[in-house]
Amino acid sequence: MRVRDRTIGVKFWLLWLCWPGSALAHASDQGIVLLLPTGAYISAGVATVVATVLALFVLPERAVRSLFAWRPINPLRLENVQIVTSLLSFVLMGFLVWLGMTGPRDPLSSLMTLGFWTLGWVLVVSLSGLIGNPWAWINPWTGLYRVLGPAPVARLPNLGWWPAIAMMLGFAAFLLADIAPSDPTRLARAVGIYWLVTFAGLLIFGPEWLRRCELGHAILGAYSRLAVFGRAGVGVPGWQIAGRSWGIGAGLFALVLLGAGSFDGINETFWWLARIGVNPLEFPGRSAVVAQNLIGLAAAVLLLIVSFALTLRLGLMLAPSSRGLAQIFGPLALSLLPIALAYHMAHYLTSFLVEIQYVLGALNDPLARGADLLGLAPFRVTTGFFNQIASMRAIWLSQAGLVVLGHVWSVLLAHRMALDLFDGHRRAGLATLPLSLFMIAYTFLGLWLLAAPRGA
Amino acid sequence: MTQSFKTNRRTLIKGAAAGGVLAAAPLVSRFAQAQSSAPIRIGFQQHVTGIGAAYGRWYGRTTDAAVKKINDEGGINGRMIEIIAEDDGTDPKRGAEVVGKFASQHDCDVAFGTLFSHVVYGSAPAAGELKLPYFVVSEGHHVASGALNRYTMQPGITDVKSQVQAMAPYVAENLGKKVTMIFPDFAFGHDHRDYFTAAIEAQGGEVLEHIAIPPTETSFTKYFPKIPRETEVVYHVMVGPAVLTFVKEMGEFFGPSKPAIFGFIDSLEAVDMTSPGLEFLDGTYFWEGMPRYAQADQTEYDKAFRAAVGVDDNGASVSDPRDVSTYAHMFGCWETLHIIKAGMEASDYAGPQDRAKLIEAIEAMTELAESFEHPQGPKLFNGKTHQVFGVQYISKVENGKLVKVHTTSIEDTQYPDEADYTTMAF
Repeated sequence: MRVRDRTIGVKFWLLWLCWPGSALAHASDQGIVLLLPTGAYISAGVATVVATVLALFVLPERAVRSLFAWRPINPLRLENVQIVTSLLSFVLMGFLVWLGMTGPRDPLSSLMTLGFWTLGWVLVVSLSGLIGNPWAWINPWTGLYRVLGPAPVARLPNLGWWPAIAMMLGFAAFLLADIAPSDPTRLARAVGIYWLVTFAGLLIFGPEWLRRCELGHAILGAYSRLAVFGRAGVGVPGWQIAGRSWGIGAGLFALVLLGAGSFDGINETFWWLARIGVNPLEFPGRSAVVAQNLIGLAAAVLLLIVSFALTLRLGLMLAPSSRGLAQIFGPLALSLLPIALAYHMAHYLTSFLVEIQYVLGALNDPLARGADLLGLAPFRVTTGFFNQIASMRAIWLSQAGLVVLGHVWSVLLAHRMALDLFDGHRRAGLATLPLSLFMIAYTFLGLWLLAAPRGA
Repeated sequence: MTQSFKTNRRTLIKGAAAGGVLAAAPLVSRFAQAQSSAPIRIGFQQHVTGIGAAYGRWYGRTTDAAVKKINDEGGINGRMIEIIAEDDGTDPKRGAEVVGKFASQHDCDVAFGTLFSHVVYGSAPAAGELKLPYFVVSEGHHVASGALNRYTMQPGITDVKSQVQAMAPYVAENLGKKVTMIFPDFAFGHDHRDYFTAAIEAQGGEVLEHIAIPPTETSFTKYFPKIPRETEVVYHVMVGPAVLTFVKEMGEFFGPSKPAIFGFIDSLEAVDMTSPGLEFLDGTYFWEGMPRYAQADQTEYDKAFRAAVGVDDNGASVSDPRDVSTYAHMFGCWETLHIIKAGMEASDYAGPQDRAKLIEAIEAMTELAESFEHPQGPKLFNGKTHQVFGVQYISKVENGKLVKVHTTSIEDTQYPDEADYTTMAF
């Protein structure tokens, strides 16, 4: 095979400029982004986080404590309604699986693909961090389970967070390294099998199975801790994390979320492609980088965990405490959740702007047989907003704003957590100083990822 | 599960609508046949995701429009076309899988639509093994080079070798004979370097300097001083996210006294010509496969093609003037589908057993007149090399629009045959 001919098609590469590229979940409008003064924007963003860190040394302790104070509200008891919505969700999932198996083959016409990736992974996960955990309402198991009402036949051993951690790594591997994660049939099969396994676990072990071994519950549960509204109270984002003790498992899960999310950005950059010997202008396709992406994912998560632990260790050296690394690891790792959620939202914003149009198109014609249920025909998706500097600047600054806000919030939340772990405001500030520096560096990484040229 | 559900948005079998058209046309008997005939199933190997997705979207829109036209006019041999689109992820391995699905799972008569060359290379062997006629719309020289097989053809779009070669006479005659080439330092850029250097030398010109830019580069100021002072023409084929930066920095380097500048529109396909940094391109020249902007001498064919696909006079979507199409390439899908129709009708194609007859019928094609079926321009199909040859366009940027200044002859694009697929067994 002659290599030189093989690459003629690469001339089309430039279209990367205006389309969310790989899978359904990435965007690259980099041509215009490269023309924006992103260096100045990044400096401003990092400076904002630095200023937040410095402000903590000036702010009184009670200000930080009262920031994360919460007010109780009367919890609504809506279990019966949730049974109905969960049953509806089960029916909807069945329809989507059927659609994935037998309906349109084009992922952008398939509500299976769009429902799972665009509405589920991008939208619902993002919203859970704002409005709370919707999983009790929309998971496709509990309604059916409660209607059937069986008693558990076995007791689930206490596995802690390990099943969730393992499943999150598996899910990230599917997202990053599967050859066709958006193929409707492939996805329908995966969803169908996952539903069956989970329901079997639920029948055998009871609801404890969902709490420990169901990834949707784990992800949405973690991010919804950042929501304003909780089950019994209301407060600023993070109030549901502050003032509680967290184990190492919960902390590791948060770090896996952050590490996988970061690598999802890193693996597209020119920088990463150069590391693995791929010409960024001639990306050979996902099948050529399966092993590299798996190794990169594992390395990114491991590197994050190790560097985070070292950061905490350094903090303990600066401000010795009666608590050891094992005690402070969980709570302070949870304080990174705002960063992970903000990056999730920023990273997927551009692709979401395109894919949500396809969702409308697919709702208009779910079987892709020419229906016009919503009266939208002829339905034409546009990516024109990626072609204008004004709209691209607005999009980029929205992404960067989210990233900076996430880091600012993590700095504040970490300090609030530290107030319970270290004696006194000053010691808490000192102990989290290395962590604050870590977060400042991570701000740079997050903003750089948005600005860096991408090629995969 | 029924086969009929394995369709997609592009399934444009419009029985009733077609009936309305056909009842008024002298094709009623054909329609009667269509009622009893299964549709022609065409597997559309589409770059829905991956690096080819922007092209995939416009290839999809063009395919929809072409299928609607053909079906509204009575289909192929009275049978409607049904498109089965599969996403290949712009990945060669996945591409081969998709071709396999077309042949064995979806019972497709033919496959079509692949664009990126590495996917063509990955998929063509599968098409050959499965004896599935495979019509690529890729521009690659892979078909004409003889590297593929009897079942793989490129009848709807010209290849890059012929495009580059055809530029040399105009460049030498009108812009200058002393050329400096700036290209990305990998195979794609090397092809331009090799094809154009040979072609300009044949015109009595010379390339003074080849400036190869590393693919990871995102700033170019340090390369411009390498352009020799006596350069009359700068030939550029930069691609990638940094191309706007490249143009902007080149503009800043030259200022108002620039040499003639010639590029391939591939650098800016689907990019708004009024994008920031592109002001500098005013007065420069581009190869275009098909003029993006409606020209003063616009043909009725171009007009009808634009209307069918939903593209305005600026080459953008009628629903969003900022959404610029891949106009220089997407006509290839339209024309390829019409070739498939013509081939099937010429061979009286009835089903997969007639695939070899279909290939032979297309191999027998020669002149393809400019028409509603071939709106890009007249073409000449070479049955031996399975590659079509056709006119190319050179446009000049004037006030942010590309204005056609030259149309090549088909002869300008031709080169000696490098293969003869007709000698291969089916």
